[in-house]
Amino acid sequence: MVDHDTQRKVEEFLFEEARLLDAGDFEAWLELYKPQGIYWMPSQPGQTDPLNVASIIYEDHAILSIRVARLLEARALVLTPMPKTTHVIGNIETQDRNGEGFAVEAAFICVEHRAESQKLHSGRHTYHLVPDDDSFRIKMKRVDLVNTSGAYSPMSILL
Amino acid sequence: MDQRMNHHAAHDAGALTADDIRGLVRPDHIHRRAYADEAVFALEQERIFGRLWIYVAHESQLKKPGDFVRTRLAQHEILVTRHNDGKIYVLVNRCPHRGARLCMVDQGTSRLFSCPYHAWVFRPDGSLSTVPHIKSYPQDFSTDDPQHHMARIENVQAYRGFVFATLNPDPPPLTDQIGPMTEVIDNLVDRAPDGEVEIADSSFTLEYRGNWKLHLENAADVFHPSFVHSSSVAPARRAPENASTIDGGQTREMLLANGFTTTDWERIELTGLSGGHTFMTNIYTQGALVNDDRDPVSARYKSALVAKIGPERAAAVLGVNRFNNIIYPNLVLNAQHQQMRVTIPISVDRTLVRVHCFRLKGAPDEMFHRAVRFLSTLGSPASMIFSDDVEMLERCQQGLAKDSEIWVDFSRGFDSDQRAGDGKVSGAASEMPMRNQFKAWVEYMTAEAA
Repeated sequence: MVDHDTQRKVEEFLFEEARLLDAGDFEAWLELYKPQGIYWMPSQPGQTDPLNVASIIYEDHAILSIRVARLLEARALVLTPMPKTTHVIGNIETQDRNGEGFAVEAAFICVEHRAESQKLHSGRHTYHLVPDDDSFRIKMKRVDLVNTSGAYSPMSILL
Repeated sequence: MDQRMNHHAAHDAGALTADDIRGLVRPDHIHRRAYADEAVFALEQERIFGRLWIYVAHESQLKKPGDFVRTRLAQHEILVTRHNDGKIYVLVNRCPHRGARLCMVDQGTSRLFSCPYHAWVFRPDGSLSTVPHIKSYPQDFSTDDPQHHMARIENVQAYRGFVFATLNPDPPPLTDQIGPMTEVIDNLVDRAPDGEVEIADSSFTLEYRGNWKLHLENAADVFHPSFVHSSSVAPARRAPENASTIDGGQTREMLLANGFTTTDWERIELTGLSGGHTFMTNIYTQGALVNDDRDPVSARYKSALVAKIGPERAAAVLGVNRFNNIIYPNLVLNAQHQQMRVTIPISVDRTLVRVHCFRLKGAPDEMFHRAVRFLSTLGSPASMIFSDDVEMLERCQQGLAKDSEIWVDFSRGFDSDQRAGDGKVSGAASEMPMRNQFKAWVEYMTAEAA
């Protein structure tokens, strides 16, 4: 565990991220990432290999930039109308990585509302955060969905 | 078993005559009922998915006895298994005792399938192994009696590792149905320096609220990408080249490739063959999506292939540049990217698309990494491409579901199709492939006897 101030700062960082996603401010969301930062949503529980095993998303800043630009394109069919989301983050636990930033684990629930349908996403986030000024940047964010088996419908939002 | 099933399906679709079916298809238009009428769907399950050879598994998923895959064949949930005798069996996933579903996972290894209800235990060939307290069953009850075995689908054939099954009790040879499309399976397998492909363990199953034919038509449609995918094409065009450190620019190039121009539409050649099969040629011409000698991975792969089969044969194998090879009724293959999609109808307005990729045995690991990334970029639930396709398939279904006299227009290119051998060729983003699919659809749907 870490001291109270650090834990508080980590929580504020995660809450800010959730707020930016809910507000649709995806460019500001991307700014939370290091230039070499990675967003990884594995397709299998406990997946360790992003190259030989398909991921739902395995993208660095450059590919994420395209994804974010698409979310802001008026022409994205799947975003017409734009989904509205509520990201809720909890059970936040922080470990010091001995001078290499912090390992953070959290549970999440996200309600997505679009047109006539409402969907519920949930799972666990794992972050590798590194200090940046008075806050952090994301070196790696891993999103493990609870529903990684069975059939998926398309997912256009970010978790 | 086949008899009972066909009788049941025929009862559901009983109201439809061959003339009814013919009445839904004009040379360049299709009536909305083909997509939205449950009676039409029931007849498709009987006469297309219940009668044709349907892809069910790849042999690389069934390497040792006990290996199994769970999937669907027409209205049945099935298990495709490898038994101790080395043979592949296709079984209905149902306990013959009380009818309970037996296996609840998509894939695995199990030397025995046990029903949790009253503990009947079956072998991978469907035969009954043991029943607890057998003396309480009638005196003539025998575990050898086939009526106590898992229902077996007898007709199973493989073509170079691709396993197909049919409910048709008297089917033609598999290769008769696939016809010249065996070439695309050949091309995929021949691309492996060791002459063998393995299906990747990871795959995606996507669900959409629309008729199964919509996906097949979309896969044959080169007119839509510039419009449907513009939201990913435009940002990819603005993005710098080679900015990604993890994919060598592949994702960006795949998104860019959907930005077809008028020239592209005219360059891409479409071919329709009898039996409803179609493919397109010359779709990707540059970047990591084609074998370019300047790309070190492609170069290493090419020398591995040349070392095994010689330069001339390698050039012929790698020279095949066909995209979205659609083996009617439900298999979409892209040999040069080691990709496969399987369309699985669930109901008239609900469809699964299972997306797979393959490893070329003997090729550099990076070739497989590219196939995996191709799979994710195109077929992941978070795909920036397929999610927009699904949106349109669902909107079509919503529009066609309304009870009215709507005819879907497939007239593009109708005047310019040309005959070529067994089939037709067309350019300029013709809707010939859809017309070709419906030609086969009518033939299969109006064929009386199997």
